[in-house]
Amino acid sequence: MAADQDTVETVAALAGEKYAHGFVTDIEQEFAERGLNTDVIRFISAKKDEPQWLLDWRLEAYERWLALDEPDWARVNYPKIDYQDLYYYAAPKQKDGPKSLDDVDPELLATYAKLGIPLKEQEFLAGVQGSPRYAVDAVFDSVSVVTTFKAELAKAGVIFCPLSEAVREHPELVRKYLGSVVPVSDNYFACLNSAVFSEGSFVYVPPGVRCPMELSTYFRINALNTGQFERTLIIADAGSYVSYLEGCTAPMRDENQLHAAVVELVALDDAEIKYSTVQNWYPGDAEGKGGIYNFVTKRADCRGARSKVSWTQVETGSAITWKYPSCVLRGDGSSGEFYSIAITNGRQQADTGTKMIHLGANTRSRIIAKGISAGHSSSTYRGLVSVHPKATGARNFTQCDSLLIGKTCAAHTVPYVEARNANAQLEHEATTTRLSEEQLFYVMQRGLSQEEAVQLLVNGFVREVLQELPMEFAVEAQKLVAVSLEGSVG
Amino acid sequence: MTGLRDALLARDETRLPGRRDEDWRWTDLRGTLRPLPVVSDAVQPLADRTDLDGVRTRRFAAPESAGVLALSLSVPAGETLVLLDVIEAGQGAYARDLTLHITLGEGATLHRLVLAADSADAVSVSLTHVTLAPGSTLQQTVLATGAKRQRIATTVAHPGAGAHAQLDGAYLLAGARHSDQTTILDHQGPGGTSAQLIRGVAADQSRGVFQGRITVAEGADGTDARLKHNALLLSDRAEIDAKPELEIYADDVACAHGNTVGALDADALFYAMSRGIPEAEARLMLVEAFIGEIVERIGAPALQDAARAFLADGLEALRR
Repeated sequence: MAADQDTVETVAALAGEKYAHGFVTDIEQEFAERGLNTDVIRFISAKKDEPQWLLDWRLEAYERWLALDEPDWARVNYPKIDYQDLYYYAAPKQKDGPKSLDDVDPELLATYAKLGIPLKEQEFLAGVQGSPRYAVDAVFDSVSVVTTFKAELAKAGVIFCPLSEAVREHPELVRKYLGSVVPVSDNYFACLNSAVFSEGSFVYVPPGVRCPMELSTYFRINALNTGQFERTLIIADAGSYVSYLEGCTAPMRDENQLHAAVVELVALDDAEIKYSTVQNWYPGDAEGKGGIYNFVTKRADCRGARSKVSWTQVETGSAITWKYPSCVLRGDGSSGEFYSIAITNGRQQADTGTKMIHLGANTRSRIIAKGISAGHSSSTYRGLVSVHPKATGARNFTQCDSLLIGKTCAAHTVPYVEARNANAQLEHEATTTRLSEEQLFYVMQRGLSQEEAVQLLVNGFVREVLQELPMEFAVEAQKLVAVSLEGSVG
Repeated sequence: MTGLRDALLARDETRLPGRRDEDWRWTDLRGTLRPLPVVSDAVQPLADRTDLDGVRTRRFAAPESAGVLALSLSVPAGETLVLLDVIEAGQGAYARDLTLHITLGEGATLHRLVLAADSADAVSVSLTHVTLAPGSTLQQTVLATGAKRQRIATTVAHPGAGAHAQLDGAYLLAGARHSDQTTILDHQGPGGTSAQLIRGVAADQSRGVFQGRITVAEGADGTDARLKHNALLLSDRAEIDAKPELEIYADDVACAHGNTVGALDADALFYAMSRGIPEAEARLMLVEAFIGEIVERIGAPALQDAARAFLADGLEALRR
């Protein structure tokens, strides 16, 4: 496959030498044991050439993790995860996969075509054997951005690199901020991540700098029986601005795979971070076999006065989603936003939402969450708005709407409100409706098929959130909405 | 749901529900009863009579130390009952648990007003289970002034089929009082409606809690369920906690909930004061109007009067 080879080489070339000696090869030779123990953690740390303090940090996290219980309050059901049956260092386990594009499930090919991902990339995305494994980290679509623009970013003073590189090159920054937003033992999955996190992105934007371009990472799980534990740390120093995009996909496997990431954002005085996610992990097949368990802790600390963090997420993938991107509004006048579309189909289960913790005076937050359930899926919005006594003048607006398509799906809304300041104003509204017959009829009599009509109406339903996405993602997200709902009509 | 009852009967303090129990996260009973009071042998007295104007009144006297009572009532098919349940205040730190069952026959109507007037040091939980039949109507209003810990919970098994449930409530809290109104409304069949409006005011160091869960079962199409909770916080040391939940398993439904927490409208206050009304008075007026809507929604005129009198006392407590 010459074309593929081209792409592989291009990616490799862009990624530079580092990739020529990509860690994957190394791992192949020194495969981490299955299961989790201090040796595995030492192994991971050694592979990454980490300083002692980080190893100690990991080991402490592991100790604490052993004492924690897996949370069970979310409205999701899944068989107990055997944490000793996983690989914690991304060493792809080789098995006979499809040899060429022709062997790839046509359903999958069609999906990718719909996503608008060029065919030669499809081999990577489908996990085809034969393409070098580091390229399978199709992730590196965005590493190419790093490499290409690194000089330009550096000129602006922006640091954008893998976290492991940041540990080596900028230890003072990493040490200062790592775990300062999501403490080691914050919750079961975050704690596990702290012990075994392997890769992720690090961004630092210096004071007063407006990051000259959108930064993006494209995460991908490719290996079998491997958990992915990436860790992202973004720091926007005083008066800076950065927009960060995150995309995720995974190959189709019959086994469930674990993804337990941690994302920490720090916004100092007057800084702004815009964080957009299009999450399209493999959701499992129509019967609920396989798919990713997406247990993610994302939190932003609006540490500075008048800082701002905006989360936008389009959640269409994963068998199970457990994710609550949050904002701690510590600085006076800081603001947090959460725009979310969660689409579930088949047997997917999503329990997602946000937390807005108002600590400072005149803090503002806005939550717009749209849930769409189809097939046999279940979608839950779970959110907390908490106003502390010092948050005078705090303001929150929350809107959660659920749309049900079909008779066998479920939608839930669980908003928590805790108000402890008499000068705060909080509003929450939620609705649950079905796709209106009248609207469908109207659109169809204008000549659209039923499926197109549903897509059109659904796109209208989620418009408010899509508008918040950066351009490239908005297009992708719109298509994803169409893909996810395919086959849910009638 | 009846953790207090279990703890009292088993004389086991560890059975008291606390903030780690999801349903009790804001109504922590742990540590509130030390030592755990002994349930008196005699069932606490209950006065039950029907007035000339057709209002059946049940008075639940407070126990001396601890009291547990379970009671059933049914409204026969096609009949209408106007029921006033008064949960009376007692002396000091008593503990009380009421478990009430109410069954409505086909086409029956129940107007129920609950006046919960516990003492400031009491721990008081009441749980009413209502079972509706097709075509029946429940119109309930709960008015509460709180206690050390107070919960008034209502669960409704709603068959759909033209039945309607209205679950309204209001709380007026001063001092260090706590009050929790919890509703669980289970729409089990198609064609049912429900409406809930809860208004609350928390002053001083008080704490108001509202939890409302609406479940629409698979197949309960055509359900129309609405829920609204509005609260006013009058002090920075007061707290309002709310959790309105929707749990929907049917697609042809219209369900909505709204929840607001805020301060008194500054413009309205300014207007009233500009007309020469002192600030304290103006505040009370606005609170009265805010809560008044709950009274206006009460269908039975005789109950409206009782509700007004109760709220007047509650407002008086806010003035102090």
